Amino acid sequence: MIRAVIVDDELPARELLREFLTADEDCEIVAECANGFEAVKAVAQHDPDLLLLDIQMPKLDGFEVLELLDRSPVVVFVTAHDEHALRAFEVHALDYLLKPLSQERFRQVMERVKRAAGLHDRQPLAGLATSLRARPLQRVVVRGDDGAIQVVPVSRLDYVEAADDAIRIATGGVKLRKQQPIGELALQLDPDRFVRIHRAYIVNIERIEKIELYAKDSRVAILRDGTRLPVSRSGYQRLRELL
Amino acid sequence: MATTQRTLSRGALALYAVGAVTATATASSAFFLWARGAAAGLSIAAALPPSLLLGIIALASRFLCSTLPLRSASRMSIAVAHAGSAAAASGLWVLTWKSWVPELNRQAAANLSPDYSVLFGLGVLLYMAAVAVHYLFLEIDALREAEDEVLRYRVLAREAELRAFKAQVDPHFLFNSLNAVASMCGSRPLEAREMAQRLADFFRLILRLGALERITLGEEIDLVNRYLAIEKVRFGDRLTTHISVDEAASGCMVPPLLLQPLVENAVRHGVASMVEGGTIDIVATLENHMLRIVIDNPADPDRADARGEGVGLENARGRLSAVSEGQAILQAREDEGQFRVVIELPR
Repeated sequence: MIRAVIVDDELPARELLREFLTADEDCEIVAECANGFEAVKAVAQHDPDLLLLDIQMPKLDGFEVLELLDRSPVVVFVTAHDEHALRAFEVHALDYLLKPLSQERFRQVMERVKRAAGLHDRQPLAGLATSLRARPLQRVVVRGDDGAIQVVPVSRLDYVEAADDAIRIATGGVKLRKQQPIGELALQLDPDRFVRIHRAYIVNIERIEKIELYAKDSRVAILRDGTRLPVSRSGYQRLRELL
Repeated sequence: MATTQRTLSRGALALYAVGAVTATATASSAFFLWARGAAAGLSIAAALPPSLLLGIIALASRFLCSTLPLRSASRMSIAVAHAGSAAAASGLWVLTWKSWVPELNRQAAANLSPDYSVLFGLGVLLYMAAVAVHYLFLEIDALREAEDEVLRYRVLAREAELRAFKAQVDPHFLFNSLNAVASMCGSRPLEAREMAQRLADFFRLILRLGALERITLGEEIDLVNRYLAIEKVRFGDRLTTHISVDEAASGCMVPPLLLQPLVENAVRHGVASMVEGGTIDIVATLENHMLRIVIDNPADPDRADARGEGVGLENARGRLSAVSEGQAILQAREDEGQFRVVIELPR
């Protein structure tokens, strides 16, 4: 039995998916979600085999939902935007369905889903989803220990520091922890606005007040709020190129 | 090309002006001398140099004219400036006479002394004639520039029309609506049929109105209402609308499909970005010959994709400025999660 979660912010779209899935004897719908927050919660709660996921949704889009999942169901994107289709493969979604949905195409995709779900060796999705998102990133999504989801627009991001294999994102005086390598985030952020000033630090250049010489060949960046961040030699070079 | 030609003809006209003033001054002042009994050749020789000077001064007065345009400078300042410079120019012309004639021929100086008050009057008259001609040509230039401006607005208008037609309706609106129709076919076939009909009516109306030069605001609002009715099927309770249009405003002429793309923005980037949805508020009033349309909608300040909005706004702004020859205003403002577009179009 395939346990499925439907995610779409439009009711008629959910209804159509429900109709198609109900017609399939091997499928069971465990949750229907109208937005990304509900989707993240539903996946954590039900650990489904299949996620039918709309892309354009308020607050969290389909890609951001994938990034926040700690389980990895088989994902099929459902969208009217075919420019997203290629990216659906890049983030290792199994397949995609274009709106308006064709029942024939739906059957074909479900055949693939059943084969994939039977294999039980699903790849971890989150990392891949993150690394192949559209660049530059416009907002960062973070899921706290209590499960609460925070969406931080990159303009509000002050700096990012590495913490073991995770990062801490400093925004307006608070630090949000996220499970992601700092190098990966550095590649996603707009290179004209964010600079990797140190192996362990990315800074929003708008926040820099000044750069001071600290010792020979060693500099420190002082931010508007007084925070002092180390600047490596290559980091200083990158900064100079930009400013 | 046109500019070069005009510059050339301006240069030629200036030469003609110098020539005309000089010739008239020479002829008339030489005639005075000849009438007093001087030899014809001597009269002309005496009259020519001061007349040439007057011609050049008359030409130079063009700069004074262009710094005091008839349309904007006050009448008083124009009158004072030209009276003053006419007196100065004429004084200079008389002075030249007084110093030149004795140099030319001391014996004949007595015969050659003209009536200086008449000469002064002649100088003033010629100078004023030159000023009048300068103003005439400046006005012609200004008219031509105004015509160019109108032409430029027309070209802009055409371009904006083209862009607007390309971006008329977001194709994803069609795909999503068709998906809703497909969805309703199973459970609510009658509603599905109705939705298909609405879609067809909407696209028919877009094609019909889009082909017209101007339509009434009432017709545009009708189009917007049809569009919103379709979106309400997709968004359900998340989309509510409130539209209020004055009867006087409803009759105003506007370019077709002016509001539709803006309302589409309000749905796509506004209400659709909110988990709870929201209300789109459209208010149109006519006050003091000014048509004012305000579109309000909530929008998530952290929404990811704000690309499309700017294009839609720019298109609307371009078309408005084209049809109103720069008189209309379109302002877009976003604060505290509320997006507002204000259009002001003089009637």
